[in-house]
Amino acid sequence: MTAGKGWWGQRRNRQLTLIACFLLPSLAIFFLYRILPLGWNVILSFESWSPLKPAAWVGFEHYVEMWSYDDVFWVSLWNTLIFIAASPLVIAAALGVALLVNSDLRGASVYRTIVFLSYPLMTVAVGIIWRWMYDERGGIINYALRASGLVDGPVGFLQSFDWALPSVIFAGVWQTIGFYMIILLTGLQSIPQNLYEAARIDGAPAYARFFRITLPMLRPSIFLCVVVGILNSFTSFDLVYIMTNGGPGHATELLITHIYKSAFEQTKFDYAAALTVVQFGLLLLLTYAANKAAGGNAGAVEQD
Amino acid sequence: MITRRTLLKTAAAAAATSVISAPAIGQGTKKITFLTWNIIDQKELIEGWIKRFQSTRPGVEVEWLDKKGPEFAPFYQTQLAAGTPPDVINTQGALGLEYAAQGALLDLSPLFAREAATKARYDANYLGNWMFEGKNYMVPFYITKTLLFYNKPMFAKAGLAGPPKNFDEILAFAQKMTSGEIASGFMTLNFDWLYWPLFAMSGVDLVTPDLKKTAFNTPKAIEVVDKLAKATQSGAINKISWTGRWVEPNGAFGAGNVGMLHAHSPAYFFFKGQGSWVTPETLGVAHMPGNYATPNSHGLGISKGSKNPELAWDFVKFITDNAQAGELATRRKLVTGNVAVDQATLAKLANDDPTVYQVLKTQLEHTDKMTGNWRFGNDTRIKEAFWPELQSALLGRKDAKSALADADRRMSRELTRS
Amino acid sequence: MAARPSRPRLLLRHATLVAVSFVMLLPFYWVMKTAVTNENIYAYPPGIVPRDPHLFNFVDVWYLIPFPRYLLNSIVVSAIAVAGNVVLNAMAGYALTRQFPGRRAVLALFLSCMLIPFQATIIPAYLITAKMGLLNTYFGLAFPMLSTIICIFVFKAAFEAVPRSLIDAARLDGLSEWRIILRVLLPLSKPAIATNVILSFIWSWNNFLWPLLITRDPTMQTLPLGLARFLSYMEDTTGALYAFAVLVLAPSVLVFLMAQKEFIRGLTSGATKG
Repeated sequence: MTAGKGWWGQRRNRQLTLIACFLLPSLAIFFLYRILPLGWNVILSFESWSPLKPAAWVGFEHYVEMWSYDDVFWVSLWNTLIFIAASPLVIAAALGVALLVNSDLRGASVYRTIVFLSYPLMTVAVGIIWRWMYDERGGIINYALRASGLVDGPVGFLQSFDWALPSVIFAGVWQTIGFYMIILLTGLQSIPQNLYEAARIDGAPAYARFFRITLPMLRPSIFLCVVVGILNSFTSFDLVYIMTNGGPGHATELLITHIYKSAFEQTKFDYAAALTVVQFGLLLLLTYAANKAAGGNAGAVEQD
Repeated sequence: MITRRTLLKTAAAAAATSVISAPAIGQGTKKITFLTWNIIDQKELIEGWIKRFQSTRPGVEVEWLDKKGPEFAPFYQTQLAAGTPPDVINTQGALGLEYAAQGALLDLSPLFAREAATKARYDANYLGNWMFEGKNYMVPFYITKTLLFYNKPMFAKAGLAGPPKNFDEILAFAQKMTSGEIASGFMTLNFDWLYWPLFAMSGVDLVTPDLKKTAFNTPKAIEVVDKLAKATQSGAINKISWTGRWVEPNGAFGAGNVGMLHAHSPAYFFFKGQGSWVTPETLGVAHMPGNYATPNSHGLGISKGSKNPELAWDFVKFITDNAQAGELATRRKLVTGNVAVDQATLAKLANDDPTVYQVLKTQLEHTDKMTGNWRFGNDTRIKEAFWPELQSALLGRKDAKSALADADRRMSRELTRS
Repeated sequence: MAARPSRPRLLLRHATLVAVSFVMLLPFYWVMKTAVTNENIYAYPPGIVPRDPHLFNFVDVWYLIPFPRYLLNSIVVSAIAVAGNVVLNAMAGYALTRQFPGRRAVLALFLSCMLIPFQATIIPAYLITAKMGLLNTYFGLAFPMLSTIICIFVFKAAFEAVPRSLIDAARLDGLSEWRIILRVLLPLSKPAIATNVILSFIWSWNNFLWPLLITRDPTMQTLPLGLARFLSYMEDTTGALYAFAVLVLAPSVLVFLMAQKEFIRGLTSGATKG
């Protein structure tokens, strides 16, 4: 410690202490409920264990099993990637809606409310609702398709190998698009208006204002949306579980449903841990890529 | 018979009062926990049992928890991991065997050896469904197996006299009753192994008797799967058979445009509630050809981690003895696996409710022909290796031969791993 | 924002938004319709308007559940979660806008923490909560939800959008760190606060698996759990199943509708001041 003002007296140290104190509570919660469990999963993935079996080290056995023998792993990995790949389209749509309702359009707040209205719903209930929407006889989608003559017979959306995954994804989009819109709206509202005024005075056309000001300033929000899109591949667990339970066959199996079923239905907690580690690694990779694409600073706005 | 609505209201009233009068935990009390599988509609009954049980055993407290099927496993597994498993558990189907294989359940055989009279209380064949490696792990709580329901008016319209007598007749009958989208001929429940009688009656078995090797990848099985897939394609077998779970198939049969439904006995109460056409005159009840049926019963077991196993055993005996099992049978109109109670129940129902009588009677007949009840310690894994492949074939995604070959490969792997 | 758009373009905007709204609202209508009728759901074609609408299904559901008790539990848990989120997330979000050694590591840590699915953490999370003696308590129910990473980033993004010049000016005026946060940053970040309140409310309100595992006492159960438990009754009467769905959804939709005035005001005031 330096003499004079002492350690605490230095502005820098005081600030660092403040920052540490600010971060500590959140870090503690994440440590307990995220990092410890992740560590548990990592260790478990190299062991043979179930709640009543003492753990024994088995090395890479579960990973070998996954790589060479588990067809379901590959199917669910592929489906998870499709699930994630759908999110840029949704984000684009949400941005469109956000831009539309952000204007001084009459009734904008009503539209805004309507679009967000599906997000507060419990995912389990959303699954029940959409299972009903897609129903072959009682569902309105089939009714509309048939009444308009687009199809001859009923389409078993959730029973079809081809349609089940897109159908579940659409239900997920319905639920989450409002959330994307809100994140983007918050971002839009945070853009200082004087930037636009300055641009307008300079005579920049609308599209230029969009690409030069709106999009760059929205980067943190868009990055957040992309992350949420990646997270959806497992937060949609309830939706898949209720609507199709991974079927037909494994047409809607996601990594997360595979993990859950392996652990709790098949009592392969150790194997599920290995799947968890792989999923974590995959999502980490994707998030890292998204972060790089968003400018590398975890979505921070470029300093002016 | 009380209506559903009044039943619900009494249940709600009971729920409200029980919230107020939560029992206090005294010093030196012995406490056990009873975890049931989705039987919340019998709240009044079960709380009555507990009160009675506690009143004759001072210092004893019974806590009752109920979880729905999908929530049961995460709850129980978490409690096992934490070392606080509920003492007495009620599971459906083969799940009890899995818990037994995991080492979660207490071996009841020594208790049976000690108390032959208790063992004699239960139907031996149903009891046998929970034998794992020669030991008893569960006793029946209430029992079911599959049977064939059929729609008599639809049979008459198609010029059919009685239920089908073999596999090919099922398909032929189904074809006759099918007309486009309006009506389909046959439907089955598919969860667990409930569809297995279709294979058993064709002489196909899943595994060798020692449970060590697969036995289903045969020309005969391919032929059966092929026929089922074709019938599904043509609409004679309703597609819901392979995609639906519980509500969809039973609801469709209740709607009155499906000729036959292969389901377990509780399905009756469901589709009766849905379909006004269901009367003793219109509903046919029969065994599947060959009298094959797949059980899907509820059993009671004791967790090995129980701190009070003797008390837990006492409780299991209490709720399955004549008085309590009799109440359950009367209220829910079911058979319990308690031989004396079931005989009395059937005798009474023969007059009171002939249709239910007919349905429940099948549950106690041909119990030596139960199939789809292999005593696997890893039943879910085996199912997971087999069913998605079969489903792919039945829905025309894969041809029967390659689907069964894939299923064979995956299942063989599970069998050698265990 | 732009100069007054021309009339056809205005119409186009409305048409697009009306179409979007239609898709968004259709499922609500369909569920409501089914909830108030007892028609045979397997009949085709389904009725587009409800025939003989009635509310018996709702009565059934209402009587089945100790509704007030579950409501109270849900409110308490959600209130704890919302309070925790607003305070802790603002703190963490602010810290992340500052430069300090290991900042990138903390950012990376937060981001990666987000990628761990709850379903895979059930057993350790339960054991940890049991160790802390929080089973069957309100705090235990809310604890894992007290700070959410997405909401931290919402705050971080909002704080970063506050012009640097404003903060520098405040610092030159001799305002302490605390005052800068309370007087400058937070008032300018009302949208972020509103977003935090609504999102943390929704997440904790709809939480299902966690309360299922850590509450044993029926009087500690939350609304989604209580309602879902009674789903077993509903399986045989389809109208009631959808009535149940409506009842589960109603509270969170209502809270959103009530809070949204503040929410939107927060959004707009944030904009005008920026």
